Amino acid sequence: MAHTVLIVDDHPSFRATARILLEAEGFDVIGEAVDGATAVTETCRLRPEVVLLDVQLPDTDGFHVAETITAHPDAPAVILVSSRDPSDFGPLVSRSGARGFVPKAELSGERVEALL
Amino acid sequence: MTSLRRALAGIAILGVLVGVIVALGVLDSDHVKLRGLDAALALVIGWSFLGAGLYAWWRRPYNRFGALMAAIAFAWFLSLLGAANSSVGFTIGILAGSLYFAILVHMLLAYPSGRLERRRHVALVWFAYALATLGQLPAALWGDADYFECTNCPVPLTHVRDDADLAQTFDVVLMAVAAVALVLVGAILVRRWMTASPPQRRAMAPVLWSGVTLMGLFAALLASSAIGATGVVDVLGWVALTAFAAVPWAFLFGLLRSRFSRGGAVSDLVMRMGAAPGTGGLRELLADALGDRSLGVAYWHDAKGRWIDPAGHPVELPADDDPARAWTRVELEGRLVGAVVHDRSLCEDPELVASVAAAAALAVQHERLNAELRARVEELRASRQRLVEAGIAERRRLERNLHDGAQQRLVAMSLSLRLAQAKLRKDPDSAERLMAGAQEELHLALEELRELARGIHPAVLSDRGLQGALEALAGRLPIPVELSDAPGDRLPAPIEAAAYFVVAEALTNVVKYADASHASVSVVRHNGHAIVEVRDDGVGGADPGRGSGLRGLADRVSALDGQLALESPLGEGTLLRAEIPV
Repeated sequence: MAHTVLIVDDHPSFRATARILLEAEGFDVIGEAVDGATAVTETCRLRPEVVLLDVQLPDTDGFHVAETITAHPDAPAVILVSSRDPSDFGPLVSRSGARGFVPKAELSGERVEALL
Repeated sequence: MTSLRRALAGIAILGVLVGVIVALGVLDSDHVKLRGLDAALALVIGWSFLGAGLYAWWRRPYNRFGALMAAIAFAWFLSLLGAANSSVGFTIGILAGSLYFAILVHMLLAYPSGRLERRRHVALVWFAYALATLGQLPAALWGDADYFECTNCPVPLTHVRDDADLAQTFDVVLMAVAAVALVLVGAILVRRWMTASPPQRRAMAPVLWSGVTLMGLFAALLASSAIGATGVVDVLGWVALTAFAAVPWAFLFGLLRSRFSRGGAVSDLVMRMGAAPGTGGLRELLADALGDRSLGVAYWHDAKGRWIDPAGHPVELPADDDPARAWTRVELEGRLVGAVVHDRSLCEDPELVASVAAAAALAVQHERLNAELRARVEELRASRQRLVEAGIAERRRLERNLHDGAQQRLVAMSLSLRLAQAKLRKDPDSAERLMAGAQEELHLALEELRELARGIHPAVLSDRGLQGALEALAGRLPIPVELSDAPGDRLPAPIEAAAYFVVAEALTNVVKYADASHASVSVVRHNGHAIVEVRDDGVGGADPGRGSGLRGLADRVSALDGQLALESPLGEGTLLRAEIPV
C-alpha cells in the first residue's frame, strides 16, 4: 500500500511540484501545510506516515518542528528538505529526530523510500 | 540719587531721630532703674536693626526682608516709650511693648525670600501679632504699682482698676501660649534648615540659627515667667536680650561671609583653572567655587543649535519654572558658549554665579570645543555602526531574496524537468506541459536575478554614469519622471552610487506612498557639492523616521560628509535633497 505523505513548505510552487512528483512515484499525498504550527496540527489530524518538512518556515524552523513531531510515540517519519546544501546545517539534521535530509532539487520517490 | 535711595535715606534719618528722642526719654525717666545702660542698649539695638534692615532693603529692593527688619527698629523704639513719664507715652509703650517681637517672628518666618511661603506660616504670623497685642492688655487695663513693681510709673490711659492678680493670671496663660508658639516657630526654622540644599544652608545659617536660639531663649523666658521663677527670669532676660541684639549682626555676618567667599571663590577658581587649564575637572572647580555639589555644565553646540553635555550627548536645561534647578548663561566675547546648571537657591546671589561664570568663560569655551568634537565622534561612531548593521541587514535581505526567489524557482524547475524526463516516452503531453512550466519558472528566475543584481549595483551606472542610470531608473517607473541637469562630467564612483541610491529610494517612496502624478529629479554641481533633488507633487507629510530606507540613505550620505534633508509639508508634495561634497 502507498505511503501517506504530508508536505510542509511555504512555497506553493514547491508544494505543487513535490505533490506531482511523489504521486507519480506511488506516494499518497494526503495534505499540505504552509508553516510549522499548521504542520504540527495537520500531523495530529491526518496521521501521515511521512512528513516532508522544509527547513525554513515563516514562523519557526524545520528542526524545531521535527523535534515536536517526533517527540510523540508512533510518530511519522520526518524527512527534511531544503534548497540549501545539507552541509549548511551540520549535525542539526540528526539531532532533530528526522530520518534524514534530501536536497529539494534531488527530491524523488526513490530518495524518500530509501530513508524509510 | 534714585527714589529708593532717597526714601531709604529719609527712613534712616527718621530712625536716628526717633532713637535719640527715645533714648533721651529713657535718660529722663523717673521709673527706670539703669537709665544710662538702658538708653545705650535702646540705641545700639534699634540702630543695628535699622542699619542692617535698610542695607538689605537697598541691596534687594523687591525682598520685603529688609523692610521688616527696619520695622523691628521702629517697633523696638515704640516699646521703649514705656520709660516715658507722661501717661500717653507710657500707655503707648505698654500697648506696643511686644510688637517688635511679633515683627521679628514675621521676619524670621519670611526668611530668606521675604514672603510667607505657606498658609500655616501666615496663620502663625497673624497669631503672633494678635498675641503681641492681646498680651499687653492685662498690664494696660489692670496693672498697678505692684504689678509694674514701680511706684513712680504713670497710670496708663486705659487703666480700668487696680487688679494685679487678674493681670498676672491673664499673663500666665498668655505667656504659656506664647511659649508654645515660639517653640513652633523655632521648629519651623530648624525644619527649613534641614530641607535646604547645601548652598542655601551656607547663605541662611547665621540668621536661621540666631533665630532658633532666640526663639528657644524667649520660650524659656516666658515659661519661667509663667511659673514665677524670678531668678531664672533675670538671667534669661539678659541672655535673650543679647541674642535679640545679635540678629542684625548675624544677618550682616552672613552677607559679609558670602561676599568674602564670592571674592575668594572667583580668585581660587582663576588660580585653579590656571594650574590645570582645560582639564575635564571644570565641573568640579565650578562646583567648589559655588559650593553646589549638584552643579553641572552644559555646552552650546552651535552647528546643531542645542545643548550638549561634556561627553557630547544632547541635554535639556531646567525650565524657567523649575522649583529646584536653574541655569546661568556663560558668554565669551558676546557669544553664548555654555551654561552653568545649578541649585535654584544660587539665584539669591546672582552676582556670585555671574562672576564665577565670567571667570570660567574661556575654560568653558575650551571644553565646549572638546564636547563638540566628542559629539561629532559619537555621531560618526553611531553612523558607522548603522552602516555596518545596514550592510549585514542588506546581505541578509539578499540571501533571503535569492533563496525565496530564484533558488526556489530553479528547484521547482529541476523537479519539473526530472518529472518530464520520466514521462517523456509514456505521456509526452504531460511532459510537454511540465517543460512549458519549467520554461516559465526559468524566465521568472532570470527576471528576479536581474532585479537583484540591479539592487546591488546597477551595471549601467558603472558603464554609462549617473545620467544613463537615472534615465533607465526613470523609464522603469509607473509615473512620468522628469530628469534634468545631470552633470556632464562623471562624479567619483562613491558619490555617483550614493546619488543614484538617493534617487532610487526617493522614487520608490514616491511610487509607494506619495500618490503623485509626476516627479522630477535634478543632480547639479554647485559650490564643490553634488546636489541631488527629488521632488513630487503628491500628498506630502512624509515622516523622516519612517522605515529604515531614509535612515540608511542619511548614513550613506553622511559617510561621504554630506547631508540629507526632507521637506514634506502636508498636501504640498515632498522634496528630498542630498548635498555631498565632491
